Amino acid sequence: MAKYFDIDDILTEEEFVPVLFHKPANGVTIDPSAETHCVEQGAKVEVPFWLAHELHLRQAVSINLPACFNQKTRLEVQADAAYVDLRSRCQYFYEFGCKLEPLVTDRTLGILLSTAFKIRYKEALTKVYTAAHITASKYLPFLTKEETNLYEAAHLSMTAFKKWRTGGPRLQRASILGRKRKDSN
Amino acid sequence: MAGQTDPHISLFSPQEVEFMAEDELVKIVPNMNMDPLNFISGDFGRFVPQIPTEVPLWLAVALKRRGKCTFRPPEWMTVDNLTQILEAERESQSTFQALPFSYVEIARLLFDHARDDIPDMYMVRSLVEDIRDVRLHKLETNLGSFQGTSAVKISNVSAMEVNLVRPFVRRALEAFYKHDKPEADVDRDTRSSRQQREANNEPRRPLRQR
Repeated sequence: MAKYFDIDDILTEEEFVPVLFHKPANGVTIDPSAETHCVEQGAKVEVPFWLAHELHLRQAVSINLPACFNQKTRLEVQADAAYVDLRSRCQYFYEFGCKLEPLVTDRTLGILLSTAFKIRYKEALTKVYTAAHITASKYLPFLTKEETNLYEAAHLSMTAFKKWRTGGPRLQRASILGRKRKDSN
Repeated sequence: MAGQTDPHISLFSPQEVEFMAEDELVKIVPNMNMDPLNFISGDFGRFVPQIPTEVPLWLAVALKRRGKCTFRPPEWMTVDNLTQILEAERESQSTFQALPFSYVEIARLLFDHARDDIPDMYMVRSLVEDIRDVRLHKLETNLGSFQGTSAVKISNVSAMEVNLVRPFVRRALEAFYKHDKPEADVDRDTRSSRQQREANNEPRRPLRQR
């Protein structure tokens, strides 16, 4: 319930998954190209995850793996996980995979996620502290939202430390007192 | 991981860590007479000229700014000691040398205010900076060696270094934990062996050995 209002969680659940309907559904316009407003039994449709989850609980559909977890991605991850552009596949790659894991029959999803994350962590994210901005920014466009969070956290604390190190007035007026300053602490 | 949209999650800013470091006791040599001072944190004794006394760092800095004392540098801040520590840091790749918990902050405050009280000031300063760089580098390379633990112990890390890596390591460990949990249910046999790093300095992290 803590994640009900969380923007990232909402956006994660917005991702499409292909589902296979077990029961016909009447009066719904899921497939915009269909003529009749109903879905046949055995039809394959793409629905958002939140919908697929609900339908799965009522045993009306079975969920297949979406395209971002397909064989092509797996092969790429095996080859060189650090450079795989996960952001264009799915911005919430890890989070989405974790949600799908209990619903899908494929057992290797969790392993794929954790190996991908571990390798990417080791290669890209640990370089944040030492590397010059150029080397780190090679990986930046490829990171998913969650990894970008990690990166930003590290980057912020490093800049704060450097700023402190170069000195500054020991006592500073609080920024909420209205004085105009460029960098408020 | 998805629940943390706030990047400003570092729990202490460097200024706050410095503030907490100012409680450390240092030796000063006052040059005036003053009665004992009574504070909430304790009483600091009679100030007699030329008799060294121990006071907290914040009080020492305040007295120094009013020109009422001179600092006596702490024992660990001599050129020999620092050179030795630097050598030892450079040698070993995974252990940190024992240094006072807030050495970075104490060193910086002393350099800012007590420049003339420390013999060989420039030498000491460059040594402290070198030590800091080496330790930071070591810390970062060791960060990359997590294999999926959910608790990490590293000994002799100082306050400022811990504060630097704190948000990053916290989130990374959470992510590792999240990804390993479903894996642990599915596939116990093929789980890769997990490395562990020993000895912790941070009261906040649970020390669960996996």
